[in-house]
Amino acid sequence: MHKQECIAMLLAGGQGSRLGSLTRNIAKPAVSFCGKYRIIDFSLSNCANSNINTVGVLTQYKPFLLNSYIGLGSAWNLDNPFGGVHILPPFVGEHELSWYKGTANAIFQNLKFIDFYDPDYVLIISGDHIYKMNYLSMLNYHKEKGSEITISTIEVPREEVSRFGIVSLNEEGRIIKFTEKIANPDSNLASMGIYIFNWPILKQALLEDEQDQESENDFGKNIIPKQIALGKRLYAYRFQGYWRDVGTIESYYNANMEFLEGDEAINLFDPAQRVFSNEDILPPQYIGPKARINNSLISNGCVVLGDVSYSVLAPGAYVGEGASIENSILLPHARVSGHTKINKTIVGENAKIMSYCSIGIEQDSGVRQAGITVIEDHYVLGKGSVIYAGSNLYSTR
Amino acid sequence: MQNAIGILFGNNGSDSLRGLTSERSIAAVPFGGRYRILDFALSSMVNSGLWTIGLITPRHYRSILDHLGAGKDWFLDRKSGGLFILPGAIHGLSGENGKFRLKDLQLNIEYLQKDLSENIIISGCNHIFNINYNEALENHRNEKADVTLIYKESTDPSAMKGKERLVISDNQDVLDILDVSETESTIAWPRKQNYFLDMLIIRRTLLLEIVDGYRSIEAINLIEAIRENMRTLKIIGVPFTGYFGVINSVKDYFDRSMELLDPIICREVLMGHDRIHTKIVDNPPTKHGHQAITANSLISSGCIIEGEVRNSILSREVIIETGASISNCIIMQKCKVSSGSRLDHVILDKFVQVYPGNILKGNKNSPLVVLKGSLV
Repeated sequence: MHKQECIAMLLAGGQGSRLGSLTRNIAKPAVSFCGKYRIIDFSLSNCANSNINTVGVLTQYKPFLLNSYIGLGSAWNLDNPFGGVHILPPFVGEHELSWYKGTANAIFQNLKFIDFYDPDYVLIISGDHIYKMNYLSMLNYHKEKGSEITISTIEVPREEVSRFGIVSLNEEGRIIKFTEKIANPDSNLASMGIYIFNWPILKQALLEDEQDQESENDFGKNIIPKQIALGKRLYAYRFQGYWRDVGTIESYYNANMEFLEGDEAINLFDPAQRVFSNEDILPPQYIGPKARINNSLISNGCVVLGDVSYSVLAPGAYVGEGASIENSILLPHARVSGHTKINKTIVGENAKIMSYCSIGIEQDSGVRQAGITVIEDHYVLGKGSVIYAGSNLYSTR
Repeated sequence: MQNAIGILFGNNGSDSLRGLTSERSIAAVPFGGRYRILDFALSSMVNSGLWTIGLITPRHYRSILDHLGAGKDWFLDRKSGGLFILPGAIHGLSGENGKFRLKDLQLNIEYLQKDLSENIIISGCNHIFNINYNEALENHRNEKADVTLIYKESTDPSAMKGKERLVISDNQDVLDILDVSETESTIAWPRKQNYFLDMLIIRRTLLLEIVDGYRSIEAINLIEAIRENMRTLKIIGVPFTGYFGVINSVKDYFDRSMELLDPIICREVLMGHDRIHTKIVDNPPTKHGHQAITANSLISSGCIIEGEVRNSILSREVIIETGASISNCIIMQKCKVSSGSRLDHVILDKFVQVYPGNILKGNKNSPLVVLKGSLV
């Protein structure tokens, strides 16, 4: 039998253009995070840890690396004969439309996929958030309230409310208003972009949305406000814990650095709710005789011969003798040669930095993106280069 | 896809590491942080394109089966072929001392009968190496050999302890297999000797004949059987020039582990084109804290280091507290060294906890071994 109680639809098609050079070659959910992980690991692990065994992954932008990373989903224990992970790229048929126009349109184009599993509930999540969550608790809340649509929410600081979709509630927790990214909303309860729909309600909503020529086919902008207006039963599930949207260079950098502090951040070491990832086979890290490491996370396959402090090193990263890495993030297989100094920099996958460079030199004026320097994947930086803080280094192609 | 299948003898002399092998075979002893010793032999076969591999189990087989599971991490959970667990025979008083015993093959003759491949690659799994068999296999076919023995040239008998010597002609025919003598000198040979590395390729039908022909003899091993029939068989030798780490004793185990800290050996064995595969445990990256000092060490994932670590090898999820200091140590999975402890030349088996302020000291020639699960 294919019938499932709840299936997940994971939106992984966004371009993530605000991540600049980090997403020039790779979809945002596949960007390396906190050493050995990729951003999508968190959502997929949540599904596995919540016993949701059927996941449709909607991909569109530069999907190759993401698709090959996900594979059959076995790294997350999601390869099972009754469901499993399905990669759902846009496709063409007699009536279908090829490219996904928006988040709602992406789900709309895969109505047949959802029908195949005939679920009672559909969980909609996105592949670009960092958090640990048990979706079953949210589903139980959804059932208890007799809700038709449940939105997972989190309290955010007042000064950041304008970045989020904000919900306003009545006394019993029912949503009476949903506003996207406006200056002074009535509450600070932000939507996390995680929804549970009763399947018939979702199907009806998507069919109607598709008829609406004005619609941008987006959940936050169109579907949710429309359903509130129609008087549907929408409830807010209050999530407590660590949750980060890593949509910008600054938030991506800060989230990585939060893991170094270890207090507020997700406990990666918690065996009850492990974060799985599809790791390469690499030997243990080698720390050289002259290396000095201070408060850093270092992954398998790294070779550290120089100094590393307040930094995150992803698998296979190399730090040469006499080099110094501070407040920086080295993505998988990034290579920093001897006597190069790096500060507050994200070094892309397989990027090569030759010796005697100085990167991330602070300057007084006109510093962009909080002074974080970003070096694109596969970039090769010549010997003795000097790069000022806040620069973005792209390969010319 | 190779027209060959593999057999790993997991029960060759498998009790020789004393405390480390009281509850497990030598093949299942953790090595190099995240690996176990058998990963090297098994990965060599997998990387050579073998998709059917049988493992003959030792007397204590729990930990080896726990490690291997269905063989998924070696890509051996397959519809056709894959990993076969072949129960080893019980060898009475000789215990776990012998190697390549025909009795083990007799017991598992179906594994050899039902496959149709032409050749079988057989190896022990007590040693540290990373070999690709393709060249030897191609040579075996081209030469139409019955048996290919893989050897290494060395003048140092102590580095090759317990290995038979081969007499080889100029055109690589093996003329004789010389037994290991107990009294063999430890003085270096004047000329290079050819030491048999417990790896061989044999025609499958020939192996079936040998197993059948020696059925009535209780205790004989494959090498003895090959030697008896040397005149009628075409036996060739193929040299292996890469790193080969022999492990026969706790000291060997300690020395071979420390050799991995040599970047050249580490790169050759662990970082080359053919990787050593092992059971994957999803651990987070290792955290080096504010007061951590680490030098010349191999450290696996999921560790938390707040103290001092020098010239050591750490397995997964080891905790070194602030003020603790370890040097020249091998620390296995989930050990905890509390603050103020000092360890030198110590091997901690899994799950050992060292309480605050302890000083444990072994020496280079006899490292101190702390048994699994001890509280010190």
